[in-house]
Amino acid sequence: MSSPLILLPGDEVPTDYLPSNGSAPLRLGPGLRLLSEAHPTPASTSKHVLTATQAGILSTDNKRNAISILSSSNRRYVPTPNDLVIAQVHHSSVDYFYCMITPQSPHAVLGQLSFEGATKKTRPMLQGGDLVYARVLSTGLGAGAEVEIACVNPATGKSEPGGLGPLKGGMVFDISTGFAARLIRASSAPSEQQEVAGLVVLDELGKKLEKVGGFEIAVGRNGKVWVDCSNSEDNAVRATVAIGRCLTAIDEHNLNPTDQRKLVTRILREMKIES
Amino acid sequence: MGGPIASLHPLSRADGSASYKCPATGSNVLGSVNAPIELPGRRDALKPEDATIEVFVKPGTAPGGVGERHIEGILRGALGRIILGREKGYPRRGVVITLAVVGCDNIARGSSYLPILPALLHTSILALLSASVPLSMTFSATVLAVDSSGEIVCEPSSTDAAAAASLHVLAFTSQGHLLLNESEGRFDFDTWERVYERALAICHGTSALGSDGDVAMSENVDAQPLEGFVRDTVEDHIHREYAWKIDAA
Repeated sequence: MSSPLILLPGDEVPTDYLPSNGSAPLRLGPGLRLLSEAHPTPASTSKHVLTATQAGILSTDNKRNAISILSSSNRRYVPTPNDLVIAQVHHSSVDYFYCMITPQSPHAVLGQLSFEGATKKTRPMLQGGDLVYARVLSTGLGAGAEVEIACVNPATGKSEPGGLGPLKGGMVFDISTGFAARLIRASSAPSEQQEVAGLVVLDELGKKLEKVGGFEIAVGRNGKVWVDCSNSEDNAVRATVAIGRCLTAIDEHNLNPTDQRKLVTRILREMKIES
Repeated sequence: MGGPIASLHPLSRADGSASYKCPATGSNVLGSVNAPIELPGRRDALKPEDATIEVFVKPGTAPGGVGERHIEGILRGALGRIILGREKGYPRRGVVITLAVVGCDNIARGSSYLPILPALLHTSILALLSASVPLSMTFSATVLAVDSSGEIVCEPSSTDAAAAASLHVLAFTSQGHLLLNESEGRFDFDTWERVYERALAICHGTSALGSDGDVAMSENVDAQPLEGFVRDTVEDHIHREYAWKIDAA
């Protein structure tokens, strides 16, 4: 593809930027809509145009024949099925835990039994304030619908992708939603192409903190990242705070890979964590 | 006369924000957008399948009054036409736009708000863009004063505005259609036509639809079209934010 194209609301997507995979239907991601052409010209073959509804970079995926707009990274999170989120339990009823995904939105429901291996006898007893790593199951239909999340794949009964379930210990840091999406992309990519989202911070921290016991991390699309270093004993708190500081600073200042490495070294030195 | 200065996302806690400063009219506005949010007690609004748009204008030093309520109504009407309130996640939710007039030459209590209306409009469109609220299109706006001899003054200062026979605020969408027209004072249709041509040239440059006169060309050499200004501000911001992706490509 040629240079990245920045679109503003109302701009039409030029046809030469569309993925050329003819077999599958074109999938429209967020930020785009299909309109019928206002002034159809006899020369043009299609009667429809794609226009942007948000300002951002046009991103195309040739493999899935999908097209979407990557918009401002500080936007508010809107739940979408299959997103991984970090939710906080607010209160529980007989059948459901009521969880907060973002503080302003109404509570999302999490079934008492939507955990791996949960039965009526053995199920996690979550209190208000506890954290869960969950997948958005459905967002309902129409206005004011309930969002349902689950820590288990209902088809298989396993928690997949792995790691879903209650998050014990650790600490949550707030990051922007765009940065959360980047972290997820970077960590799900094969390890040799960590540069995929311009992020080397997790690799770098992993290398440097290996000696002190490593760390666990969970990234929620709702702009939360959970960090736990309970293996590092004496350094647990310091390492957790250091990781959180690295992530929030990179998010805030939009650092490039070289600066990310420098920042990691500097913060670990400041926090007196020998690596 | 310098062009306007704007920055996107100066506030970290709001979903979207923008600051806008126009040296010509001396206005300085800070705006924030929060959307989509739950509005208490609004779940059964008159239009349940649409988003509710709320606009608040806060003067810098005085409590808000009738003038602010009036301008809020104008802004809500104009913005409601371009916000797509039926997109996913927006119906029955609120789009709350708060505009603080940080600096302004002198808008006394009860005086006209028209001189800073373009600044309020630009701040709100930039804040909406930075919050990624779905919009059907963007717009740009300008204010023109016509003095007693029929001369048109672009972006009048507060003294010019006070001396003017009539004041006109016009906003054009990115497609070149008239979105908003607020006029006050005494003027005739011919004056309005001239004001319209001039405003279209300011917002869209001379290549815009319907500008066929040479007059507009010779008059508008001092600044880039405002539509381009909105676009450049947003593109700069996105370039900075997605530097990691653009560098990799």
